[in-house]
Amino acid sequence: MKPKVAFFDFASCEGCQLAVLNCEDILLDLLALVDIVEFREAITGTAPYYDVAFIEGSINREQDAERLRDIRARSAVLVAMGACACIGNVQARSNFIAPAENFKRVYGSEERNQVQSDPEFWPLWAHTRVRAVREVVKVDYELRGCPLVPEEFVHLVKSLVAGTIPRFAAHAVCVECKMHENTCVFDRGDTCMGQITRGGCQAICITNGYRCDGCRGLVPNANMAAHLGLLQSKGLDNREIANRYRLFCSAEPLGRVGRSGHE
Amino acid sequence: MTAFLVSLDAVSAWIRHLACGQTLYFPQQSGQSGLRFLPVDNDSEIRFDGYQPSLAPPGKKLAPAEEPLFRYRVGTDGIPVIQPVLDASPRILAGVRPCDLRGIHLLDQVNQQGHPDPHYLTRRQQTVLIGCDCLTPCDEHCFCDAVGSLRWRENADLFLTRIDGQFLLEVQTEAGQRLVANQNFPACPDLAGLKAHIEAQRAKPFGRQWHADAGRIPGIVASQWSSPVWDKHVERCFSCGTCNLVCPTCYCFDVRDDFQIEDPSAGQRVRHWDGCMLPQFAQVAGGHDFRPAPAARQRHRVKRKFEYLNERCATTSFCTGCGRCGRQCTAGIDIFDIVNDLIDHAEVTP
Ligand code: SF4
Ligand code: SF4
Repeated sequence: MKPKVAFFDFASCEGCQLAVLNCEDILLDLLALVDIVEFREAITGTAPYYDVAFIEGSINREQDAERLRDIRARSAVLVAMGACACIGNVQARSNFIAPAENFKRVYGSEERNQVQSDPEFWPLWAHTRVRAVREVVKVDYELRGCPLVPEEFVHLVKSLVAGTIPRFAAHAVCVECKMHENTCVFDRGDTCMGQITRGGCQAICITNGYRCDGCRGLVPNANMAAHLGLLQSKGLDNREIANRYRLFCSAEPLGRVGRSGHE
Repeated sequence: MTAFLVSLDAVSAWIRHLACGQTLYFPQQSGQSGLRFLPVDNDSEIRFDGYQPSLAPPGKKLAPAEEPLFRYRVGTDGIPVIQPVLDASPRILAGVRPCDLRGIHLLDQVNQQGHPDPHYLTRRQQTVLIGCDCLTPCDEHCFCDAVGSLRWRENADLFLTRIDGQFLLEVQTEAGQRLVANQNFPACPDLAGLKAHIEAQRAKPFGRQWHADAGRIPGIVASQWSSPVWDKHVERCFSCGTCNLVCPTCYCFDVRDDFQIEDPSAGQRVRHWDGCMLPQFAQVAGGHDFRPAPAARQRHRVKRKFEYLNERCATTSFCTGCGRCGRQCTAGIDIFDIVNDLIDHAEVTP
């Protein structure tokens, strides 16, 4: 029997699901290997049990966490898909700011006053904390990046179907810059997070002339002290550094270092 | 063999001419800063001055970042049919400096020893090398003279030296001879005299020098297993692997199998670069890692360059002194400094 596969989205732009749908040239071959039972971006319908559940998005509210736990309980394999699910992504930056302050920034003081006086007024922002999927349930595999890398998605599906162990890069982005013979971003006069960021993206941003902002999260045992010192030596002040570290890595320990140590 | 004295224009025209018949790589600028060995075409600029070591060494053209080793198909009888993938397209690597010529020579050794590597050797057999001498060190990272690379030219088929606005072009092999046939280059009248003049023009001292006699280095490195020097130089290290991947004598790789999604009985085995500074390099079955500490990995890298491999290949050093690792390390960690620190430390605590 073909494995039953489902896709679920939480707080996200659904860009990762679109990236999956964009694997056009092999999508039909992939579909021949699996049965997709839930996929809001493409089909309607539900199933009681999943062989593989792909989770897109960060977990912001307690009701989201409940829904996620329920999916986990009914799934043999659970995959966190994309930066939101893996590390919290940009929305997790709000974790560094008090909720009332966030609300004032977005909606002004009128609503902020209302939230403090009106018990019925309980908007979406009043979540406790933006969490990565692995902070709520056990995650079997992570497809990192914003958005995910289609080749890694295909590799994972193939491995799951074939029963082999999928392999994902745990090395720094630098490896892939060397493979593409890129001029180092530091030699172009900019600064970069490639040394502490997980590769697997083929250094796509740097290869195309930008720098790495770390959307794939940290390498294991990232030398954060050295990286902080390096950025400081290039003239970045601590506020800029904290902003850089938190852009995608907010739910990662690095973002927290940026907060506790340097503000 | 023969030697010619040729103008810059004639050399450039000749290189362009050679590039018409086959792929010819020459160090070039391409938008971003830094030189790359790129195929020469009509728009290419043939420049010899202002040379800085290319980002990747030219020898990597013989062992690319990723390559299929073989394709397989499992037949109905369950027996796989294996088809090796070999690249026998002819190519010329031109403008290869002495350090990188020696790098290719060292790669030849490791690829011939033990289990010879047909993928590397097939490309190598189809490769002609046009070397180019250095009369001044390329920058402050270079230490080719200290490791005995500066005067290396043995494996060049042709060798160019820029002197007094002209080029001395020395033919060193039959394959080199074929590339200059019908060129009518003027012969060099006094080769011995010109060579003496070239030596007199060469910068002295040339690049950075060791704190001890080079012959003592393998012994010193061997004696310093538990030196504090290892920890000192790894404090800022990111374990990013850059120093491995830009090195002309690093050749480690890993392999993976890719089956075809439309026909899972067929697929290919692909190899790709790996490096001993990378954290997962020493991870084996079951997840055990026999070299988990960055300092141990750094020590292993240095020992490969200055102790293990030079012993195996009976050469002075497996580092060519190109300086790429130190030049491209964003943490500013330089193997030359590590070895000099080991020397200094050995003087105090032998
Ligand atoms: S290039 Fe530098 S930071 Fe990267 S692994 Fe080598 S020594 Fe460490
Ligand atoms: S160890 Fe460093 S200096 Fe020596 S050959 Fe390799 S890259 Fe060049």
